[in-house]
Amino acid sequence: MIELRSVTKTYLGAGRSPAVTALNEVSLTVESGEFLVVTGRSGSGKTTLLNLAAGLLHPTSGEVLYAGDDLWKMSDKERSRLRNHKVGFVFQFPSLLPSLTTLENVALPQSLGGSNAPQQSAGARKRRATELLDMVGLSDKLPSFPRQLSAGQQQRAVIARALVNEPEILFADEPSSDLDEQTEQEIMTLFSGIHRDSGLTVVMVTHTTQLVSYGTRAVEMAAGAIVPGAA
Amino acid sequence: MIRILAIILIVLAIVVIVVPQFTNCSAEGRTLTLENGKQVAMKCAWTARGEIATGVPLLVLGLLMAVWPRKQSTRSLSILAVVQGVFVILLPTGLIGVCMSSDMDCNSILKPTMIVAGIVTILVALAALVLNERKTVS
Amino acid sequence: MRLTSLTLRDISGNAFRSFVIIACAFVVAGFSLATILVARGATDSITLTQARLGADVLVVPSGNERTIEGALLMGSTAQIRMARANLEKVGAVVGVEVATPQLYLMSMSNSSCCSVPDMFMVAYDPATDFTVEPWLRKELGRDLTLGESVGGTYIFVPEGADTIKLYGYDLSLEGNLEPTGSNLDATIFFTFETAYEMARISATKAAKLLYASPDQISSILVKVSPGSDPGQVAKDIRAAVPGVSAITRPELFGSFREQMEGQRAVMLVVLAVILALALAVIVLVFSMVVNERRREIGVLRALGASQTAVFRALLASALTLAFIGAVAGIVLSALVLFFFKNALTEAFGFPFMFPSAGSFALLVVIGLAVALAAALAAASVPAYRISRRDPALSMRE
Repeated sequence: MIELRSVTKTYLGAGRSPAVTALNEVSLTVESGEFLVVTGRSGSGKTTLLNLAAGLLHPTSGEVLYAGDDLWKMSDKERSRLRNHKVGFVFQFPSLLPSLTTLENVALPQSLGGSNAPQQSAGARKRRATELLDMVGLSDKLPSFPRQLSAGQQQRAVIARALVNEPEILFADEPSSDLDEQTEQEIMTLFSGIHRDSGLTVVMVTHTTQLVSYGTRAVEMAAGAIVPGAA
Repeated sequence: MIRILAIILIVLAIVVIVVPQFTNCSAEGRTLTLENGKQVAMKCAWTARGEIATGVPLLVLGLLMAVWPRKQSTRSLSILAVVQGVFVILLPTGLIGVCMSSDMDCNSILKPTMIVAGIVTILVALAALVLNERKTVS
Repeated sequence: MRLTSLTLRDISGNAFRSFVIIACAFVVAGFSLATILVARGATDSITLTQARLGADVLVVPSGNERTIEGALLMGSTAQIRMARANLEKVGAVVGVEVATPQLYLMSMSNSSCCSVPDMFMVAYDPATDFTVEPWLRKELGRDLTLGESVGGTYIFVPEGADTIKLYGYDLSLEGNLEPTGSNLDATIFFTFETAYEMARISATKAAKLLYASPDQISSILVKVSPGSDPGQVAKDIRAAVPGVSAITRPELFGSFREQMEGQRAVMLVVLAVILALALAVIVLVFSMVVNERRREIGVLRALGASQTAVFRALLASALTLAFIGAVAGIVLSALVLFFFKNALTEAFGFPFMFPSAGSFALLVVIGLAVALAAALAAASVPAYRISRRDPALSMRE
């Protein structure tokens, strides 16, 4: 489904600091339906790998293909539309918009779709968002604002948001690293449940090696390259 | 935002209180001489005194609004401020008045300052009222 | 939830930064309007005053050109006298259709409390006059008689009295002329007959004696015959009558026009500086706003908002703030210029007339446009930059 071909990402140094090569000629294929866990220490390039695969970062060289199409040969509009319809994101930091209610946050991707978005009525959108919030156990928090939710509750809402447009693939960047152990368990159970029930492709980055067991495949990163033999 | 509007009201109140004291005819030593020879203050002097009576409540209103921007109190305070603004305008234009000569300071400075200050007070107070109503209950 | 309404909801977030942008638009719009209004107002006033005088050529004693302009426009003191004999000579010049004399007098300061002090008084000849006659014919249907007067818009009868007392003489006020924005609004007009009577009474009834000798006049207003060239007629008058200046209409108030041009240039320079500063401040502040919200913007982009959608939404929020500020600035500017007309005229040293509703609406639109364009230009730089950034980079801490 997603293919990275010899992808390199170099960050230009600011001022006098040298350029940093975060990813060096990495090639990787993500198969449809798999739950890929990418591990590695901080600075190993795993987040960069995720961002590149998700189309959130422009590679310095190499190609990123989604279902055979080169992401960076598309126009920004097409790429944005792709992200909106086919991809779901769970970030490490709290990414709910503070000025919107939980319901509005989850429903948000539905109205960002652009002119080719499926024309749903406001009611249909609300229903879908409510369904998902129900599924993640937040049905009583619809009108609350993010600041009124706990960290765990916020992440659950973010997961609901990631699923609202029925994506084909879910990218999660250290989704539970800021949470306590129990909440982490809850979140991870939610993830594997979603993967199991809907056949969604999941790519998750984590520095906690214990979480590898939740995936169907694991890959380890170190110093900007994949550690061989860990596939 | 309401705090900023409240501060503007405070500034306006100070203008309303202070400016007339220096731009009325008595301040410039001009008085009216009656038939029997007595010297009396002219209309504009009374208007200046009256503006103290409109300016001070407005000042207090502004201070209250700035210190306690709660929804219930801001609503009442802004309505009162609108009323004060109306009287700031009425004093030099109808209720008491100023001298008729266009050359004199009370006509060319006091009156327009009060009219403009009054209008701005009304507008600012209305803005505060509207913004306040839109706020979620705090 | 449309992206635009989303960013608009966030305006209330950065209250201080929003206020700064509003303030910049406020200053730009307000000052733009003020500059245009003052420039227009001064020109309008001078044009109206010239039209009121109705003269093609104004004849005054040599050396008194500035004085007469000052008296008519600004009310500065004028003691202008020349021989009445000049009237006949001027009337004899080829191309002169009508030559009417005027006598300028000044009232005392504080002559009667609450009527206009330092009032400008003009005595005219009802037989030949074309300054007030048109108005008299239209409004009163008759000429002024002895003891009657007509005044500019600021002339009034003091409260509690029936007449205006000048130099101990009682004058009735038969009406007020339309405003011109110049000193003609504080001028009182009566016939020569009335003037001489007033002078006679002043000897016994007034604190100061009024001099109004029958063989002296202050100026001669000339209407040229159709088809004649006023410039040529003026030249001929100068040749025929020694010791006088003949000013044609375009030259009239020339020194004031120059002064105005100077003021206008200054105001334009100040406006340019203000504009540049406002632009710089908005770029700075908006960059800060955008920077604070870069994570949010990154998330929105990740969720599928395109570069153009983000760019437009950010500009919309800047424009909304600028609009609020611009409207407030224009309202305040207009209020001040409208109500402080007199104080401003004194301060500037040249007349000012507030434009008609139609012209004013146009000027308001211009003022708004300037402020909005500035805000748009300034905000587009930071907005463009962030909309183009890779979402991952925006979201980096």
